[in-house]
Amino acid sequence: MLIGVLLALFAIGQMVLPGFIGSAQIANQLKIAAFLGLFGLCQTVVIATGGQGLDLSVGAVATLGAFVGTSTLALTDGNTAAAILVATAAGLLAGSLNGLGIAGLGVPPLVATLASASVIDGGLVLAVSQLHPAIAASPALVSIAALTSAGVPNILIVWGALTVAALWFLHSFWGVRLRATGSNPVTAYLSGTNTRFFRGLAYALSGGIAGLSGALLTGYVSQAFLGLGNAYVLTSVVVAAIGGVALEGGRAPYLGVVCAAVIMTVLISLLTALQMAEAGRQIILGSTLLAFLLLDRILKWV
Amino acid sequence: MTPATSLKQNGLVPVLGMSAVIVAVNAWLQPSFFDASSIASNLASLAPLILVSVAQAIVILNRELDLSMGAGVSLLNCLLASFAPYSLGGVPGQLAATLGVALLLGATNGVLVAVLGLPSLIATFATSALWFGGALAIMPQPGGAVGEAIGDAYYATVAGVPVPLLVIAGAMALWMLVSRHRVGRWIVVTGSSPAAVFQAGISLIRVRLGAYLLAWFFVFLSAVAISAQTLSGDARLAQSYTLGSIAACVIGGISLRGGKGSPWGALLGAVVLGVIGNVIYFAGIPSSWQEFTKGLIVVGALGFIVFEQRTAR
Repeated sequence: MLIGVLLALFAIGQMVLPGFIGSAQIANQLKIAAFLGLFGLCQTVVIATGGQGLDLSVGAVATLGAFVGTSTLALTDGNTAAAILVATAAGLLAGSLNGLGIAGLGVPPLVATLASASVIDGGLVLAVSQLHPAIAASPALVSIAALTSAGVPNILIVWGALTVAALWFLHSFWGVRLRATGSNPVTAYLSGTNTRFFRGLAYALSGGIAGLSGALLTGYVSQAFLGLGNAYVLTSVVVAAIGGVALEGGRAPYLGVVCAAVIMTVLISLLTALQMAEAGRQIILGSTLLAFLLLDRILKWV
Repeated sequence: MTPATSLKQNGLVPVLGMSAVIVAVNAWLQPSFFDASSIASNLASLAPLILVSVAQAIVILNRELDLSMGAGVSLLNCLLASFAPYSLGGVPGQLAATLGVALLLGATNGVLVAVLGLPSLIATFATSALWFGGALAIMPQPGGAVGEAIGDAYYATVAGVPVPLLVIAGAMALWMLVSRHRVGRWIVVTGSSPAAVFQAGISLIRVRLGAYLLAWFFVFLSAVAISAQTLSGDARLAQSYTLGSIAACVIGGISLRGGKGSPWGALLGAVVLGVIGNVIYFAGIPSSWQEFTKGLIVVGALGFIVFEQRTAR
């Protein structure tokens, strides 16, 4: 169904705006979709572990990863691999703290991740004003995030590799336990799964992916800035919901989320290309989401 | 039930302590804190967040969430600011029309969640985009003018009592009235056990719809209160209220699992959140430290609440 919607969107785009389907156009859209898709992966993993799972700190953690990444670049003379690793590690650390609060102390995810986001955002404002960190992305990072090789955007290859890894993980021994934690924590616990560990692990992973995506985002926009990841906080939840991740937990169909990320990006760019005002864009976005929810509901009834 | 056990049962003890401490710190940093004029101006600026937090509390007690309240307050604010002076028979007519729209927005959320059974988290996120779009459609740029009578009335006093305090008192009196009526009981009981309510032969649909409608009456009050202060319209005015109201509820000891807590907790939670800003300002903390300090205080408050709830169990 999602693929059908995507094809319909492209067809509408081509009809109202000739040239909407061009290889350069599509490559551009996929680049933008890749970032949305990565943030959608964060939500997919945490929502799947249930307990009203949600990670509203992905934006702040991504911004953290961005600044940590660019600072590492400045310290290591432009060592891009080190920058990406350190940014991912910073995200993992922030995510682990979320996981500790949520799985260890039983703080509701909505509250815990919101609180950590406000501390990280506040800390970044402070750090940027006091330490004046380097913010420039290295040429290698720009090339990974923004350039294409043989017509294929490099970031798409990264996204593809991470998607394969995510699908493998979600169907491995670990992934099955992770989803079992979401679909029925009691049964999972009684059959020997350390549900607390898996719930915590999900937030750590989400943080790691967000930190990595933040570092990659600096390559795409060529520098780190405050509020870099903010736009992805709620949109990532939306693509996860459209992609078929059940909010009650237990299901993690990441391929659906990938489709949803592309649909969302194409829809937004179509509305922007039509020069629709912000008001109209918001209304169409809201109605689309509602339509999806209702359709899903009706399909369940039938 | 003695007042003490009632406080304990509703999880109000920690938030009472916290608000007392934060108010004391504020009074210590700002010697004029208890002057009549400073109390009046603090109440005027706290009232909108308090009212929207009480609205959120009603929805959360019902075991749902409403992520569209911030956008809703902004939409109602833009609507109020868009009326031509003396249209609709002046201010009373304009307020009535705004109330009508507020109840319509609440009913929309209620129908999506209660009748169609959509998860409230995502459904109200979708409607928040609709409300924000609507607010932008009415007012693409901040502007317009709210009837000055509303502003004048808001800053007036009745028999020495500031009007914002009267509005808050009236709102809480309304909640106390409803909570003693069976409808209020049903709202809270549905939050703690929907199955029990269903088996008692009560329509879950009507209770949930009722909770959203009641909550949006409070959202309307919040929108009027904030409009009376700004006297103009801004589609982004109240964006922070959505998450602010949820934070106020959690600090106020209301369980996100529904059924436990009291709107009084949300009121105190909103006071804590609002006064933190004052304290940070009067403590002379450099601006670059403010966000971080505020975040840490909120995390500390949340940690305290969670710890308290765990030991209470």
